[in-house]
Amino acid sequence: MASSLAFGALISLICGLDRVAILQIMISRPIVAAPLTAFVLGEPLIGLQIGVMVELLWLARLPVGAAVPPDDTQVAIASTVLGIILGRTLNASGIELLLLCLLIAIPLGKVGQYLDHYARQYNIRLIKQVDSALDRGSLLVAELQHMRGLTSFSLAAIGTYAIILLGGLLIVPLLWPLLQQPMSYSSAWVQLALPLVGIAVILGTINVSRAITLFCASFCMSFLLMWLV
Amino acid sequence: MCVVLYVLSIDVAGVGMAIPRKTRLYIWFRLLLLQASWNFERLQGLGFFYSLLPGLKKLYSNEELLSVSRKYVGYFNTNVYLAPMVAGAVLKLEEEQASGIADPTLEIDDFKEMVAAPYAAIGDALFWGGLRPLAAGVALFFAVKGILWAPLVFILLYNLVPTWFRTVFFVRGYRQGMKSVEFIQSHRLPDWAIHTKETTVVVLGGLSAFMVFSQLTQQQLPSWLGLWILIPMVILSLVARKGVSTLLLVFISVASIFLIGVFWADMVHLIAS
Repeated sequence: MASSLAFGALISLICGLDRVAILQIMISRPIVAAPLTAFVLGEPLIGLQIGVMVELLWLARLPVGAAVPPDDTQVAIASTVLGIILGRTLNASGIELLLLCLLIAIPLGKVGQYLDHYARQYNIRLIKQVDSALDRGSLLVAELQHMRGLTSFSLAAIGTYAIILLGGLLIVPLLWPLLQQPMSYSSAWVQLALPLVGIAVILGTINVSRAITLFCASFCMSFLLMWLV
Repeated sequence: MCVVLYVLSIDVAGVGMAIPRKTRLYIWFRLLLLQASWNFERLQGLGFFYSLLPGLKKLYSNEELLSVSRKYVGYFNTNVYLAPMVAGAVLKLEEEQASGIADPTLEIDDFKEMVAAPYAAIGDALFWGGLRPLAAGVALFFAVKGILWAPLVFILLYNLVPTWFRTVFFVRGYRQGMKSVEFIQSHRLPDWAIHTKETTVVVLGGLSAFMVFSQLTQQQLPSWLGLWILIPMVILSLVARKGVSTLLLVFISVASIFLIGVFWADMVHLIAS
């Protein structure tokens, strides 16, 4: 269990940095981060299922200017780790436990938004240090201050991961005996609903004229084709 | 990666380049850390200074270098994939200014500010608003089918275009300086952003149909029922357009499905008994 948590933390750190601070090659997207975590922990299909459900949820929230979206990266990673660890501990398999972990993790994604906000606020201190380093004529110190910014983003990523994980480890084992049976009636539909809600939000916010008309036409055409073939 | 290194190391005959290839490569790699110290006061300002510093060191020294450096730690914000073009162009302008062939009326700061905001708008619409959901939509087709390569499909599909922009536009910026604006205009990127978004909507329509159809087949329910899903989706998208949070929509949808599931199971149990 400890090694799973540690591997999860390592992936959360790397993906968390890719999200804002370095590279932006999108390994931070849930469709990549969750399967990667699950692959490292030995159950890649669980990550793929989580990735499908989370990927589209906040995709419409663009990281434009000073806007900070909820941390879907840590939601995906932490719920994958939770799903795998608790699946082994509670001896449960199937989509119900994954859904419960995810539904606990999703609201905690807001914590990530606050921590990310705080990291960016904290980084303002670096500016003053850079200004004074330049006044002293030290370019090296000024360069190092820029790299220090990575520390705040790393702490925000790891902090979010830890909070979601802790919340899940405390809440899921309590709720699981109560919700296991009722959730089995609707789990397949909830699994379908999460990406569809994400798509609906994208449709509502994407800046395309007649987006809904275009979507409905594409949906109907594809549906009819699948029906006929 | 090899292509990136090759493109960055090309020198063009007839174009003066005071900053050596190795330094340009170094700057390119530093631009990957542009947002490492992102903050609410100067946004990418520190990162832009950090990226350009190896080039500035080749052009200036001592007090002059410090004075130019102070200029670059100020406010700066643009799209992360188009920042290399601004950096390339700014380096070229600095190079011209250092060698005394620059237009004396030209303020590099003004140029930087003038292009950063429009590039941010163009890049955000193209990459965040268009390409990212498109790549995700395509990759999700594979993921829903349980194909483990889906994340790789997403990474490859998404990164092709940004890597091209980061590399070619940086080289172009450095070669053309201020004229790089004409290069970006000639690519009509806002039009591409709109086309990408339209394609995204079509792909998401196909993806939704595929997911709904697969679910109905698995549950052994009649396929025509799937067309009804459009009603809640349109309602949800209209509600989202009004600014209702995704979190609230998720919990309303999940709670409704959960309650309907429990009610339905009770009804079936009641009828059976």
